[in-house]
Amino acid sequence: MNLTKVFTKAIVTSPERQQEADADFMVVKKVQAGDVAAFDQLILKYRERVFGVVYNLTANREDTSDLTQETFIKAFQSINRFQGHCSFFTWLYKIAVNTSLSHLRKNRLRSFFSLEKIQEDGTNAQLLEQLTDKNGADRDTYLHELQQKLNEAMQKLSIPHRTVITLFEIDGLSHSEIAEVVGCSEGTVRSRLHYAKQFLQGELGKYIRS
Amino acid sequence: MSDSSQRPKVTLEDLLRLKRAERPDAEFWGKFERELRQKQLTALLQKRPWWQELPQLLARRSYLPLGATAVLAFTLVSIKYYAPSQLAQEETRLNDSATVAGNMTVTSSAISPVTPVSSALLNRNDQAVSRLDDRTALAAMNVEMPAADQNIEVQMPQMVAPKEIETPSARSIAANLARLEQSEPELINSVVGNRLSSPARLQTASLQVNDLASMPTSASKRSRLLAQYSDRQLAPEPTAPAIVRERLSRRLGDPDLYDRISRLGVRGDAVSLKF
Repeated sequence: MNLTKVFTKAIVTSPERQQEADADFMVVKKVQAGDVAAFDQLILKYRERVFGVVYNLTANREDTSDLTQETFIKAFQSINRFQGHCSFFTWLYKIAVNTSLSHLRKNRLRSFFSLEKIQEDGTNAQLLEQLTDKNGADRDTYLHELQQKLNEAMQKLSIPHRTVITLFEIDGLSHSEIAEVVGCSEGTVRSRLHYAKQFLQGELGKYIRS
Repeated sequence: MSDSSQRPKVTLEDLLRLKRAERPDAEFWGKFERELRQKQLTALLQKRPWWQELPQLLARRSYLPLGATAVLAFTLVSIKYYAPSQLAQEETRLNDSATVAGNMTVTSSAISPVTPVSSALLNRNDQAVSRLDDRTALAAMNVEMPAADQNIEVQMPQMVAPKEIETPSARSIAANLARLEQSEPELINSVVGNRLSSPARLQTASLQVNDLASMPTSASKRSRLLAQYSDRQLAPEPTAPAIVRERLSRRLGDPDLYDRISRLGVRGDAVSLKF
């Protein structure tokens, strides 16, 4: 356990992330030792987060499914190269982002949005109540309209800006983790984040209060 | 389109947090898992190309010493067989000097089996030529040839002919040969070529040597030319017929000459001749 802490302390910031990274590294060691089934634990743990990253970058649910699977296959094939210099989820995010960016570059001219339905579970209920008039009859219509406007605004951002704001605001990664995933400095991450927020506020001005 | 002005406004962060709620349902994940497992099995069975395994192989620490040894061996082999042009020239120059030394050794050893008469004549001629050779070759070597050609300087003393011994026999042989040169120049020319001690030929030879020495060529080339020249001078004439050579040696041999001289007697004012 101490060994994994030495390897992963550079990127992981919070204690919770550190524990998570250590646990992941133990599972990775099992997979590297030949326990292929142990990789399923990592898939179950990270599939929704990887799906979210890819989905917010591509805005297409069919492509997202394929790209998420491709991400896990790549990770599985390259698991022996993972040596714990960064946390497993940072490494996995890096694969997901690179796979998505490669897909976006290949299909630059094709922009077709197919959005997932917003899941109204307990965690989102309060937010949805804030966003919509809870007594209004056209609540679903308004939510759909808001979702579409948000996606359109996101897709207007350049790929690096979209990546940064997705990882920071939606996935909750820190600046240093984003810098590790994207492969740039923290200053660049902050700069891109600032620009992306300014752009989105301009695009979604009538829906948000400044 | 609804009237958005009547809706409550939220922050951008709240709006972006809404994106987290865009998730697929459980049915999707069932299908996703099946497809992923199938792809995973395919990836397990699929043989990956060797270049994709290369970084993994290089990353293994056990291969590092082996790789370092291989790189070192390759570097040494490259340096040995693909040396830069300067090294190649140096090597060529060394080879040239070795060739010249070898030629000189051969030619100097080839002088000894010649008959006493011709060796004495040749010695006189060769001494002059070899002095010139020595002077020009050594001058050239001292100026242009570095330590690589020291072998030539070591070998050069072998080229110097032994000092001429002024015996009565040699003097008489020389006189006879001078007479013979005047009476039968073709015969002498065919037998010994331009090795005679006539001043004109000697001068011509020295001029040729001087011309060679003054040529603005490299030291190795000059040494090679000089060695070829001296070799040509000192080697036995291949065109001389064997019969002529035998007859000449018979006529100029010491016993024959001694016999002729002994038949000639001088007493006071009388000269006697025995037949």
